[in-house]
Amino acid sequence: MRAHYLDVGGALAFAEDHGATDATPVLCLHTAGQSGVQWRHVAGALAERGYRVIVPDLPGHGRSEPAPGGPVTDLGTYADWCLELITALGLDRPFVAGCSIGGKITLDLACRAPERLSGVVAMAADAWTNGRPSARGLRRELSDVAAPSRTDRTHLGTLAVVGRSVPAQRAELIATMHRREDPAISTSDLLGWTSHDLRDALGDITCPAHLVVGEDDLWLDPDAVRWAAGRIPGARCTVLDGIGHYPMEEIEAFDAVLDGWLRELGTSAPTNPAPTSPAPATGTERAAAVTR
Amino acid sequence: MSTEQATRTGVGPGRYFEDFRVGERFRTGHRTVTAGDLADFTRVSGDDHPIHTGPEAILQGPFGPAVAMGLLQTLGLHGSAVLGLLDTHWSYRRPIRVGDTVALHVTIVGCRRTSRGDRGVVTRHMALVDPDGAVVQEGTTAAMVSASGDGPDPVGRAFGTVAWGEALVARLDPGFAESLATWDGAIGLRAGDSEVHLRVYRGKVIEVSRRAATGATFTVEADELTWLELVEAPDNAFTRFAMTGRFATRGDGYEYLRLTAALHLIVDAARELAGEDA
Repeated sequence: MRAHYLDVGGALAFAEDHGATDATPVLCLHTAGQSGVQWRHVAGALAERGYRVIVPDLPGHGRSEPAPGGPVTDLGTYADWCLELITALGLDRPFVAGCSIGGKITLDLACRAPERLSGVVAMAADAWTNGRPSARGLRRELSDVAAPSRTDRTHLGTLAVVGRSVPAQRAELIATMHRREDPAISTSDLLGWTSHDLRDALGDITCPAHLVVGEDDLWLDPDAVRWAAGRIPGARCTVLDGIGHYPMEEIEAFDAVLDGWLRELGTSAPTNPAPTSPAPATGTERAAAVTR
Repeated sequence: MSTEQATRTGVGPGRYFEDFRVGERFRTGHRTVTAGDLADFTRVSGDDHPIHTGPEAILQGPFGPAVAMGLLQTLGLHGSAVLGLLDTHWSYRRPIRVGDTVALHVTIVGCRRTSRGDRGVVTRHMALVDPDGAVVQEGTTAAMVSASGDGPDPVGRAFGTVAWGEALVARLDPGFAESLATWDGAIGLRAGDSEVHLRVYRGKVIEVSRRAATGATFTVEADELTWLELVEAPDNAFTRFAMTGRFATRGDGYEYLRLTAALHLIVDAARELAGEDA
């Protein structure tokens, strides 16, 4: 693995860089308030399947410096930042895979610059949240005195949206890792999440797209995700049985699942044959079995 | 006259108060709604509003509870030990039309002995369910039932009562005291119409009562069926229930959020307690 500190959007940005530099690039985006560490079990293994895997920390998250203008509340700002990162790293028509706000940024990128992408996998994201959670409540949460027991709520709130099929120990690890957030950044991310409306732009997506949502994800209504997929020409929609809001953290050997989805999406997927290692029971088989 | 009263003559005692347990579930066979049902019900009620006539007629709301009571009788639970029906709280989720088929699903959600001691209130959650499993109408009905003895009764699922609150406090994890080491207030837990207050001072529960001297700092509440499902769930799903609006909160919302971890431990204790009664 290589790592970069690059100047993106006027601040220092951190990104992991796995795999051969001439391999098919995949940009992996994390969820609200979190960092690229969410892809730690996926990135290296996906690179071994023939990709160049780029895992950035969005501004203000993980090892990236804060955005010069303060916490970002517009997911479009993150999308522009990603395009700048793609240019800075010289990535040629990458795939993008993201989850939650990362999924919605992925969708935004597909609306904004489909010609620059090979395809997108947008997980745990719809086109419009219908104003939930409420922006007013989130703005109140930005004031520390109004946000008691924040880490407990992040911990238990994460456990509440991890899918039923995930073993308790793995769920606990996910929830414990998620406590490492800056609440000002997470809450600003959620303000971006709740206010970002892509409904009218979905028809502009001309690159291949696959929308994925966990059946146990309390944040999303699978029907809203299906609706969004239905407005994107040729898009596919998958509902994951027993999975919640964080497929890349919840599904064991997720690299195999994502590799399968990317191969379906794109002509620029690796030309080498897919590895023959057996697909994990909680991964591809389940995903394939429940495609709706 | 209630259905129970109407069937008292010439039947055996059926179940006594002590024979019911919170969490028991029963299902009846199916019943199809006929044109005769519609005609009979319209005649009895006198309500001939256009919505209740014609080929697309929707049967009047009270038709549901009436049918539910009839189906309940087929379970053979109730005989002369039933002294009367106390209340019906009912919601109409979907229309019922001639030709529709429903079955009754019954869950016992409350068993409270009265202060007289020789009888008790059995609260039954009743749902009319179509063949696809969709709930058409649902609600609760409470019946007064004779007791065969004088207790004591199990408290593990007597949600919202003082006895339940006391048993719950005895099972609290030490982490509860730790997390509330600087707290001074009262936690209200409400199930249906029953509410218990845990008065906490510096981590210790110093009183369990129906009402703390200055009331509850906040109260978390849900109906009895939701409490039952919470204690029966495979894991502690309190946050999930709260996120999806199945539990509501009254009082100081800040303190409610502040006690997130403590409430989770209360639910852990409630689940342990309920398991002992299973």
